[in-house]
Amino acid sequence: MKGLMNKMMLSCVKATEMVEKKKLFGLTWKENMQLKAHNAMCKVCKEYEMQSEIIDSVLKHYLQRDNIIPLNNEKLKLKIISKLK
Amino acid sequence: MNDTANPPATITCWVEAHTDALFAWALHKTSSLETAEDLVQDTFLAASESFEKFKGNSEPKTWLLAILNNKIAEHYRKLFRHSEMHSSKDPVFFSEEGAWQPAQMPQQWGSEHPLDDADFRKILEKCMNKLPAQWSAALHYKYLEEKKPELICQELEISDTNYWQIVHRAKLQMRKCLEMNWFNKQ
Repeated sequence: MKGLMNKMMLSCVKATEMVEKKKLFGLTWKENMQLKAHNAMCKVCKEYEMQSEIIDSVLKHYLQRDNIIPLNNEKLKLKIISKLK
Repeated sequence: MNDTANPPATITCWVEAHTDALFAWALHKTSSLETAEDLVQDTFLAASESFEKFKGNSEPKTWLLAILNNKIAEHYRKLFRHSEMHSSKDPVFFSEEGAWQPAQMPQQWGSEHPLDDADFRKILEKCMNKLPAQWSAALHYKYLEEKKPELICQELEISDTNYWQIVHRAKLQMRKCLEMNWFNKQ
């Protein structure tokens, strides 16, 4: 029985991998059950799942924001114009 | 003046008008002055070569930005392909048995994450720049545009499994860096 339990239980590295797989591609029914069972008992991995969500939203906001202030670069303009000729 | 009448003169005008905005965007996306300058230059060279494809029914800036975004994607594809998959310097997050290394265990986060706070942005940028090249390329690529993960795997030429494992490692390191430098800063 213990052997079977060990086979069914995910390790923390697998559980956190499943968190990322879930976000990108979705999980199979079995993987989903395994992740739920693991996170029900493992506070640390549960915390990881929450933080992973926060990291996604801050990175997305940061990298996709469109209110970038133009940066003056006269040297670059001259360089490009000379290359275009 | 008709925009299509004199391509070189039009492109020169565009360089004057749009370089600053394109450069700022490229710098934001790559965090490298040199790379940003190269990408903007390549954008105008490409625009000049395919000038007849510009129909004038979109804003020149929109058209140029689309070209630039393709160049940025290409830059990260190259970076991804040409960097090492694993290095001995990669941090170790878990034990052999797959348990958390004590130093890597997520702690409860204290502070807020004010999205538009300049100091928070600096920390984010710093943490992104500390990632190994391949992980950083994968993360940047992930958030370039709203691309489907399946398409990203195709373009980076990796399997689904490879991709989520790289994202996993990159996020473990980002998590730790943000925790130490922002959320639970001592």
